[in-house]
Amino acid sequence: MTIGLLAEKFRVPICIALVLGGWQIIFALGVVNEKYFPSILTIASAFWQMLTDGVVISAWATTFLRALIGLIGAALLGVALAILSDLSPVLSRGIRYVSDVLQPIPPAAFVPMAVFMLGLGTKLYAFVIILVTVWPPYLNGVAALAGVGQVQLNTGRMFGLTDWGLLWRVKLPAALPEIFTGIRYAATLSLIAVIVSEMLAGRDGIGFMIFKKAFAMRTPEVFGLMFLVAINGVLLNGLVNLLRRGLTGWHIRMMERPE
Amino acid sequence: MTGILTASDVGKSYGNGVARMAIIEGLNLSIAKGEFVSLVGPSGCGKTTLLMCLSGLLAPNVGMVGFKGQTVTAPPIGLSVVFQDYSRSLLPWKTNLDNVLFGMRRVTGMDAPQKKARALEILEAVGLTGFAGHYPWQVSGGMQQRVAIARGIASQSELLLLDEPLAAVDAQTRADMQDLLLDLAKRFDQTCVLVTHDVEEAVYMADRVLVLGPRPTRVVREIVVDLPKPRDQISTREAPAFLRARHEVMELIRSMRQGKALS
Repeated sequence: MTIGLLAEKFRVPICIALVLGGWQIIFALGVVNEKYFPSILTIASAFWQMLTDGVVISAWATTFLRALIGLIGAALLGVALAILSDLSPVLSRGIRYVSDVLQPIPPAAFVPMAVFMLGLGTKLYAFVIILVTVWPPYLNGVAALAGVGQVQLNTGRMFGLTDWGLLWRVKLPAALPEIFTGIRYAATLSLIAVIVSEMLAGRDGIGFMIFKKAFAMRTPEVFGLMFLVAINGVLLNGLVNLLRRGLTGWHIRMMERPE
Repeated sequence: MTGILTASDVGKSYGNGVARMAIIEGLNLSIAKGEFVSLVGPSGCGKTTLLMCLSGLLAPNVGMVGFKGQTVTAPPIGLSVVFQDYSRSLLPWKTNLDNVLFGMRRVTGMDAPQKKARALEILEAVGLTGFAGHYPWQVSGGMQQRVAIARGIASQSELLLLDEPLAAVDAQTRADMQDLLLDLAKRFDQTCVLVTHDVEEAVYMADRVLVLGPRPTRVVREIVVDLPKPRDQISTREAPAFLRARHEVMELIRSMRQGKALS
């Protein structure tokens, strides 16, 4: 077995080793104060301690569920808005204006207003996540539905599809791969929105814990919690990819086929 | 006029006032059941617009299109279009078999297993045995167009409107596909209207060639192709009747392109 093949086979452990090794080298060189840049071992032991006392596990699950439910809601709403835009040019322009105004506002800026309006709790999370996350599925959905080819639409009509039939049986299946590009981006946004909301207005969850530990200068714990956030991102992306493979596997295989 | 497909005084234009552009004006034609008719004309004369009007996918501004004695207002059952752009006409998320079954949506009097058996039978007739489970993008261009033709026939079609169906396939495949189409038309009792810019193809395939005038288009001449069937790629193309018909069509189209007055 050549070195290339070995590297290919063990690429995941090799990458992890490189990241951890790099971290340790920076630590050993002492470029950054140890207080703010602890060694891997310190982080690992702090992390292990948090895991065993159980609080962090429930915070992790809470954050993950919020991000997941928020993503599902935002994706469904975004696609619904895209369908409405496709059906009516008037609605399309209206929704577009709203999106142009709301989209550039960062998640953190929504939180104070949401606290006044909705108080602390589930409603606040739903509000912030959806306002931040709904746009990529909506924008990609609008572009994808508008991009469905005239020949495909004529084909559907030739075989007797009504406008609703065309939407369900031709337009949406044709648009789904591009919609999923938006949903994948939305997954990241959803996680950001949850963490920010938890930091600014939360009483639980990973974001809240990061904020608390950071104020207490518990650097190893902060790094451990950030690692959990990263795991959340990987898990959420994995779920979205699973669904994408299930619903638009044909498109993935079509794109991957050798010419 | 009688016939499976008729067009009486059909006109189609886009825009209004000074921006009005007439594509079709005062067009009449009648296609008899079982005929194979080719439509040829100078480039840009509105062949595809005409085919859209004949299929019910586009409504003419004036005049009437009739299919089996009924006025056409939407694509009727029993009529199907084979588009030039097969790769955009086939649905890429469906297998070849499912694409053919999609064409059978409005077929009545068959349950699901019967439909599937019929779809497989037609796929076999177009030479795609063993490719039913493939996706369109996994097979060659010629095969994709054969799936589209199979889908058209499977929709319990009596009339196939072929919109330059072979323009995008390579020359060798094209000759085979011409013979396949003639064979399928006979085997499945299809009346065919072929739109093409290839004069030789128009004459080779047809019982009758209708020559269309420049825009706004109408039928300017009818040429009956007096050649026996089945046709043969070598001997038919050397027959005096073939050469006469080809000469007449080409001369007419050339004169139109040079802007000469038409009789």
